[in-house]
Amino acid sequence: MAQLTLDNVTKTFQDDDGEIVAVDNVSVDIEDGEFLCVVGPSGCGKSTTLRMIAGLEDITSGEIRLAGQIINDQPPARRNVAMVFQSYALYPHMTVRENMAFGLEESTDMPDSEIDERVEEATKMLGIFDLIDRKPGELSGGQQQRVALGRAIVRDPEVFLMDEPLANLDAKLKAEMRTELQHLQEDLDVTTVYVTHDQTEAMTMSDRIAILNDGILQQCATPLECYHKPNNLFVAGFIGEPSMNFFPTTREGATLRADRFEYELGDETVAAVSETTNVTLGIRPEDIELADSTAAPNTFEAVVDVVEPRGNENTAHLQFDADADEQFTMTVDGMTNLTAGQRISVAFPEEAIHLFDTESGEAIRNRTLDDIETVESVV
Amino acid sequence: MSTGTRDYVEELRDMDNSRIGLYAVLLFGIVFYLFPVETAVMTMFKTQGEFARTLPFAPPSGDGFTLSALATAWNTLRPGLLNSLLMAIPATIMSALLGSLTAYGLTTISWRGQVGVVVLIIAGIFIPYQAVLVPLAQFWYQILPGLLNGFVNTVFGFVTGGNWTYPSRNGYVQLMQLSITHAAYGIPICTLLFRSYYQAISDEMIEAARLDGASAFSIYRNIILPLSLPMFAVTLIYQFTQVYNDLLFALVLVNEPAAQVATQRLAALTGGVVQSFNTTMAGAIVAAFPTLLVYIVFGEQFAKGVAGEN
Repeated sequence: MAQLTLDNVTKTFQDDDGEIVAVDNVSVDIEDGEFLCVVGPSGCGKSTTLRMIAGLEDITSGEIRLAGQIINDQPPARRNVAMVFQSYALYPHMTVRENMAFGLEESTDMPDSEIDERVEEATKMLGIFDLIDRKPGELSGGQQQRVALGRAIVRDPEVFLMDEPLANLDAKLKAEMRTELQHLQEDLDVTTVYVTHDQTEAMTMSDRIAILNDGILQQCATPLECYHKPNNLFVAGFIGEPSMNFFPTTREGATLRADRFEYELGDETVAAVSETTNVTLGIRPEDIELADSTAAPNTFEAVVDVVEPRGNENTAHLQFDADADEQFTMTVDGMTNLTAGQRISVAFPEEAIHLFDTESGEAIRNRTLDDIETVESVV
Repeated sequence: MSTGTRDYVEELRDMDNSRIGLYAVLLFGIVFYLFPVETAVMTMFKTQGEFARTLPFAPPSGDGFTLSALATAWNTLRPGLLNSLLMAIPATIMSALLGSLTAYGLTTISWRGQVGVVVLIIAGIFIPYQAVLVPLAQFWYQILPGLLNGFVNTVFGFVTGGNWTYPSRNGYVQLMQLSITHAAYGIPICTLLFRSYYQAISDEMIEAARLDGASAFSIYRNIILPLSLPMFAVTLIYQFTQVYNDLLFALVLVNEPAAQVATQRLAALTGGVVQSFNTTMAGAIVAAFPTLLVYIVFGEQFAKGVAGEN
């Protein structure tokens, strides 16, 4: 177990059109035993980052350190990392036992009896002991996934690297494995880097999330920090489902002028905005409130376009004007009934809005978290 | 699936037209391919007179039946058969093994200049054998003996006294030269076959093996080799048939009568003044027997390899 450090890691690929920067100066410190999710849209460089840690890709510049040791030039086998691939990458001609033992046979001079013992222990931990003499072709997707995990576990590595390990599972199994993986990681207490494009996975599983876009690290923080205090427009839009609503505005004094509404800012907020005039207003769907009338400040009239019921909540797609193309979403309680075509009043509470510099995308002011409630434990 | 309780009539009634069409085509295929074989087998058991009297594919009648043609063919071909196997089996195994190794080095391991090597190997497939006959003969009969004589007599001169000569007139040496030649000329096509097979193997699996600490050779031995058994069946069958059936290289490289291979013997058998069809047919059947055996033994694996099943 060890701390893993990425220090200004850069990866460029040569292409016909010149150089492509896949990973651009990424620096992250991953604490011992931490579960870090690397998340981003496809092609953002997250898999490349993982493969550089594994040693499957050369590092163009920068340093990767494991427990203080630079591992840039070490071959994959010497790095003491184990990787779980999206395709599981099991050896089809070997049984589960052989699949899991292969790494120990190749990389250590452990006696066969000890290898056997370790493999059996791992299969019991993962609930696949009964399948130990089967071949991958005879296993279901979920079982293969467990074998792939087991293959990483028996190695007892310093770092687990997981490349979208749940992507090929169906939704129910995915949710199950998510919890199981979390438990497993806590039990083993091994530093884990987990790559996914699924922000739900990232939010629910990780200690911290590293969000990449175009090879650049956007933010590396706890899931809730990324959610409530995004660094920039990209993070704000990427984290959260349904996504945050954005309205480009121009500021005149304390007024934000959007295409279809005007928003009055309080004194504190104006101070925070200072000189910026092109401001993007962001608000999460669940922070938009239903209002009785449009009399109160920052309350607007909207038309319900489509309602997506989810049972526990409803997602409504709203328009300021029935003819307008632009839509925004709000989520309301599952018991609140909205119908398409209905005209309603909605309020954007000032404590819940995020403001971003439209040009740079940087967050100027994030929502306040004064109204967070804590629940008293029962003694 | 027949359930036992259903009879054939019922099954036939259930069969749709496309299935009947398929069977008709297959039946035609069987007849088309087996008819010449049947004719050859019938002819080899007929006397010359019986052959002249009857239709080629009709079975021999009582006194028109003879085993002498088969006996003649067998006696003529037997030493050749053994020589052929001695030459073809090592050649086949060598080219399949080397082809597989080359393909592995050209697909799963990445290094600079790979494409150039692949292009050269593909070009190697299309070299016509006739074009290389002269340099090939020169290599085995002049260049190599010259080099070896010089080398052995210089380095081991205290043993040989400078009198050692490469035994190029020895039959087994000639067979070995033929075998090596075939192995070398078989490598390009084997490489190409294995390469297309290896390209389909998942990169992630190879990467997993690298992370597991396996060396390049260990990956080949433990992962690639076991997975390429079906492809080995394909190359073994293909290459064995090629090498075994070749006459051109044998004619150029083997001139010791004792070292002649089956195809050379077969040519001698049919090359008489009087055409005796029964011995010719018997010779063809006897000569074809080993290839037939190879097809039967590796048939199932061959089908898997061709179908690309992993």
